[in-house]
Amino acid sequence: MSFGIFFAILGGVLAAAGGGAGSAIGVGRVGRAAAGVVTEDPSKFGKVLILEILPGTQGLYGFLIAFLLLTQIGVMGGSPIQLTTAQGLMYFAACLPMAICGFVSALHQANAAVAGVSIVAKRPEESGKAIIFAAMVETYAVLALLISILAMFNVTANIGA
Amino acid sequence: MAKVEMKYAEIIAPVEEAKNLFDYLQVRSVMEVKKLDEIEGLDYFETGPVVASIEKYLDTAQTALEIIDKYAPAKSGLLDSLKGLPELSESEYLKKSDEADEILGICLKICNAEKEINEDKALISRSQAAIDAVESWLKLDIPMQFKGTDTTKAIIGTLPDEYTAEKLQIALAAFLEGEDRYECEIISHAADRSCVFVLAHNEAYEKVLSALRSLEFAFPSDPTKHAPEVRYGRMRNKIAEAEAEIESDTALIKELAENREDIRFACDWFTIKRDRYTALENTSAGNSIVAFGGYIPADQCETLSKELESRFSAAVEVRDPPDEDDVPVLLRNRPFVAAVEPITEMYALPDKSDIDPNPVMSVFYYILFGLMLSDAGYGLLMAIGCGIAKFKYKVTGRLKKTVDMYFWCGLATVFWGVLFGSFFGDIIPRISAEFFDKTLVVPWAKDPGSIALWFEPVKDPMKLLCYSFLFGLIHLFFGLGCAFVKMWKQGNKSGAIFDCVPVFMLILGIVPMGAGILNVTVPAILTTIGKYLAIAGAVLVVLTAGRSSKNIVGKLGIGLYGLYNTASGWLSDILSYSRLLALGLCTGVIATVVNTLGCIPSNKIVKAIMLIAVFIFGHVVNMAINLIGTYVHTNRLQYVEFFAKFYEGGGRSFTPLKTNTKYYKVKED
Repeated sequence: MSFGIFFAILGGVLAAAGGGAGSAIGVGRVGRAAAGVVTEDPSKFGKVLILEILPGTQGLYGFLIAFLLLTQIGVMGGSPIQLTTAQGLMYFAACLPMAICGFVSALHQANAAVAGVSIVAKRPEESGKAIIFAAMVETYAVLALLISILAMFNVTANIGA
Repeated sequence: MAKVEMKYAEIIAPVEEAKNLFDYLQVRSVMEVKKLDEIEGLDYFETGPVVASIEKYLDTAQTALEIIDKYAPAKSGLLDSLKGLPELSESEYLKKSDEADEILGICLKICNAEKEINEDKALISRSQAAIDAVESWLKLDIPMQFKGTDTTKAIIGTLPDEYTAEKLQIALAAFLEGEDRYECEIISHAADRSCVFVLAHNEAYEKVLSALRSLEFAFPSDPTKHAPEVRYGRMRNKIAEAEAEIESDTALIKELAENREDIRFACDWFTIKRDRYTALENTSAGNSIVAFGGYIPADQCETLSKELESRFSAAVEVRDPPDEDDVPVLLRNRPFVAAVEPITEMYALPDKSDIDPNPVMSVFYYILFGLMLSDAGYGLLMAIGCGIAKFKYKVTGRLKKTVDMYFWCGLATVFWGVLFGSFFGDIIPRISAEFFDKTLVVPWAKDPGSIALWFEPVKDPMKLLCYSFLFGLIHLFFGLGCAFVKMWKQGNKSGAIFDCVPVFMLILGIVPMGAGILNVTVPAILTTIGKYLAIAGAVLVVLTAGRSSKNIVGKLGIGLYGLYNTASGWLSDILSYSRLLALGLCTGVIATVVNTLGCIPSNKIVKAIMLIAVFIFGHVVNMAINLIGTYVHTNRLQYVEFFAKFYEGGGRSFTPLKTNTKYYKVKED
């Protein structure tokens, strides 16, 4: 039994955990700011809710990577494929962009979204712009997701599993 | 289509017609009133005090409406908000407006009743507090202020502990050193408080009092003048009276709530009146005439000036707005295009030099939105939901645009979902496999178990990535085309050619090479042509980008910098479209996960029940999250990538004097 499958699963778990932890902190941070606005003006609930959800996508992306990985290496289907340690490490590396960038970008997106919440509080008519500021950060999570997916698929293609 | 041309008009009318004229303009809602420059002999109308008093009435009416909504909530369903406003003809509206004073009287009655209720509530809580304080003294049958007789002095107050008469006497004896010329009585006692009445001989008074003080005795803060029972009864009566008054006031409000529709009308009426007087402030008035200016959409100009001149003895002069003027912007598009206007407005309205981006943007908005959501099931739900709102409830105004937008986005989503074979994820092939033990084979799909008309992105993400870049390239080229048209229309023809054509050549030339990097087979001839096209484009960019600079070094320097900027800018812009793939995969894969989770049990009946529950919950959540993501990222692609190519924004929205109503719509007769 090689460490291959262990490293592959470790990668997927890190992606899910990194993205999920970042999103949890981020959504919580924005939620606190949003709750403050809603105490003053409950009608702004819808607008701040969108801002609160924005840093939550990283958790989703991380989950996506973990799920794809588990499917690719057959753990999900119940018949894991044999991986050498090197192959396992390749999967591990493929997951790293999502794990790292997912965590960091969720935190920073949350910061942008918290600032956006104060836009909604003071100038609700400009709330669209607040969303865009926060969404800018998300680009990098999307790019990381993409690289993780492409790397993973190509690893699978190369080892012929 | 697109941006409506604006004309500027100046109107002069007799002063006695001013009110009716503005009434008429307000119902027509086609003119934005603007102050004229100061004219000798004319002063601006001073309407501030009138506006202030109307605002007070409006406030009263609105408060009254809030009050009746609180005490007698209007029965309304969720879907009622989708229905349009009830309509009033102009004559009905004028007739009803005569009753405004009467309605205002009702509003005042409502407000007063609510004020009384609040006062009574405060009174009740004050009385209740007094009752609580006096309750423990009820057994005392003399006033709490009782001082004593000729030879005795009374001490009435509380001790912070539970005492019986014996216990108190024992406690006092410790301090009194044999003095016994006093009598004590416990009026009431609780765990942490006892009310005591002590009668002491004049000579023993000081000693007894200081002994009591040692036990932390306190005089009551508000002793009664009569026996406590009297105060208790008085307070009970007060509460009963206040409660009766609250009841009658509540009944009155409920009764007056029948005038809800009238009050709503009054709110609208005062809003209209306030807007009119605010607009009147922009007029210059003399002894006999008023004069004012304003912007009118060009196509309304002729009819409006004719109508004004025939109905009133007014003189209208129409001309093109001067260039330096801050001309307001009005967009008018077909519904298909108008649906995305709110998205553009959220960024900024077109400046006067801008072209209207909506016609080009709308098509791409729907396509890109559909590509990112890319699930036929979700698209179908959106289209059906919006279709019901659109055709059955006939929503109007801004809401209609939003509903329209999601309707078209939904249809585009269905389109892409069919191409990619995603309908609530893989629910169709999965049901076939899990419940009927058959791998679904459809004639149009490449693989068994797939229902994709084109291909499944999960099976070949590289292919969709290449197409994402291709769609991005087309989108950006349209942006560049818009830049060309915009500069050409402004008369900057050399700018249009030098700034757009070389970039177009350069990027188009690089595309075959870029495709090669992504392992797409490109005919060699295309790569060769591309190479020369790109070189020519690059040379032209270097030569033309610095044309505004005076000396040759500056021209070359700015030219090279322009080349770098173009290349890096376009590269990052195009890469940004990879989100089309990422978000599309995200929706599809999570939808599949939901279906997988639902199919975990092996018993088919349990599986069916589980699948239904997981299906409904999972897909609702997935759809909601991905809708928000898709909306945000589609906007981003429009704002950051597309608009950056040509759009400046910063225009001011056309805000005509109009009947800005909340509850009724005024229609012309």
